[in-house]
Amino acid sequence: MKVNILIVGGGISGLSIAYTLAKRGIKDILVVDANYIGSGSTGRCATGIRASFTSEEHVVLMKNSIELWKKLSQPEELGKYGLQFDQGGYVWIASKEESVELFKKLVNLHNSLGVPTRVVSPEELKELVPPIRADEAKAALHDPTAGKSYVFDTLHAYIKACKELGVRIMTFTPVRKLVAGGGKVKAAVTDKGSIEADTFIVAAGSGSKKLMESIGVDIPLKNLPRHIMITEAFKPAFKPLVIDWDAGGAPYIVQTKEGNFIIAREIEEEPEQPLGSVRIDFLPKVVSAMAKWFPWIKRIRVLRYWIGYYVTSPDHHPIYGPVDEYENIYLACGYSGHGYMLAPVTGKIITEWLLDGRPSIPQAERLTLRRFKEGRLIEEFAIVG
Amino acid sequence: MGGEMRKHPTIICRCNDVTIEDVERAINEGYTDLESLRKRLRIGMGPCQGRTCIPLLIRLLARKLGKKPTEITLPVTRPPVVPIPLELFLKSKDVGGERK
Ligand SMILES: Cc1cc2nc3c(=O)[nH]c(=O)nc-3n(C[C@H](O)[C@H](O)[C@H](O)COP(=O)(O)OP(=O)(O)OC[C@H]3O[C@@H](n4cnc5c(N)ncnc54)[C@H](O)[C@@H]3O)c2cc1C
Ligand code: FES
Repeated sequence: MKVNILIVGGGISGLSIAYTLAKRGIKDILVVDANYIGSGSTGRCATGIRASFTSEEHVVLMKNSIELWKKLSQPEELGKYGLQFDQGGYVWIASKEESVELFKKLVNLHNSLGVPTRVVSPEELKELVPPIRADEAKAALHDPTAGKSYVFDTLHAYIKACKELGVRIMTFTPVRKLVAGGGKVKAAVTDKGSIEADTFIVAAGSGSKKLMESIGVDIPLKNLPRHIMITEAFKPAFKPLVIDWDAGGAPYIVQTKEGNFIIAREIEEEPEQPLGSVRIDFLPKVVSAMAKWFPWIKRIRVLRYWIGYYVTSPDHHPIYGPVDEYENIYLACGYSGHGYMLAPVTGKIITEWLLDGRPSIPQAERLTLRRFKEGRLIEEFAIVG
Repeated sequence: MGGEMRKHPTIICRCNDVTIEDVERAINEGYTDLESLRKRLRIGMGPCQGRTCIPLLIRLLARKLGKKPTEITLPVTRPPVVPIPLELFLKSKDVGGERK
């Protein structure tokens, strides 16, 4: 088989790239996935979307992405297929004075880049999140532009729109390796035969590193297991995603559109642990952290607990764009826990690398693989939700 | 799911209110494995964790695809299998903070 563009990985990144390319009139795009669509990190994520980050690169990319989420959710784009962007905001709770000072600095950074975050009092926190017990909070950082988008509706909308634009999607087809020669990638080898393409895009999440190794390119990614649980459903209780900044492992809680509470916290983990490695200590750790703010949570029941990978790069920023060794392959991976919110801007950035030779957002151009060779790493210290 | 008016809606997942018509529509849209059907429709994601509806769904899917029920790949089972009140975990010795 021969196609114009082969995208390896049918997570939110691969679909967004396919959609954005197809919208710009590109034909003959094939997306292949080893499993079903969304089976990687995408289907396991907490669906949070925010621009309140701690590096210029992240704030600018996320701000752009939020604009695109808003646009995508309109009826004339993907809204008609069920994609919703629910702009309920994010709140970060500080219980230490030094964190309040840090929040003030972050707000300055955000505001200077056009993201209207604010430091709010415990009383205002209580207005934003009525069922919270806020006595131990010193203050909170409120990001009103943040929100969430229900993942399986979003995937469904992308699939529908991609197919409508002529994109082909092949599931349950792992790419075993890539084949290259003469400075170009030639083909992707699958059990159903080789797929040749003019251009290759690797958006294969936790499988990206191995795939690139097959053509001798090292991408410095680690797959870190992250644990997360969901409770039974209740009526809408509060809109924002709530994060405890000072608890360690940044525990957070968010209510889904069906009313279930998703709760997560980072616990000490070894990279590359298989996704079935259940940790019995996760549930007590996450529940105790949240019961501090929401004592009523003790009386509700956990439905499911699962694990997914944060595919993490050395500076916790994504790897976007071309590689030095081959002229016709592009990377879109290494989101370090934020690839869902980035997806719309990921589509834009990769499309522009392909069609315009460089991305229109200057900060995105700094995010190529080359930065690790040149030691130009990007700094970030808030890697949650 | 569900929601719209049907002449004879037949509930297949009573926890999450999914009908046979919802399932048939999703299969026709290309959701032809249990994992993607579960995620698209929330079927099997209710408090009973699919104990009631997944066996029915397997038979329905097998019939639609012209396969034997035993040829359908089963969905992943997630702990704790039976819903447990969160209170129970607060009695564990693992309660407490963890620094990264
Ligand atoms: C617990 C948890 C919570 C999270 N919460 C958030 C959040 O709130 N907000 C946020 O923005 N992000 C969050 N994330 C991160 C987010 O899920 C990911 O960054 C994002 O889903 C990455 O999407 P992707 O499409 O790049 O990768 P994936 O969804 O992993 O997709 C990659 C796909 O490639 C396929 N693949 C891999 N190797 C091959 C191969 N060799 N051949 C063919 N196919 C292959 C896989 O099957 C997979 O479907 C969270 C992650 C976890 C684990
Ligand atoms: S009947 Fe479907 S989850 Fe309980």
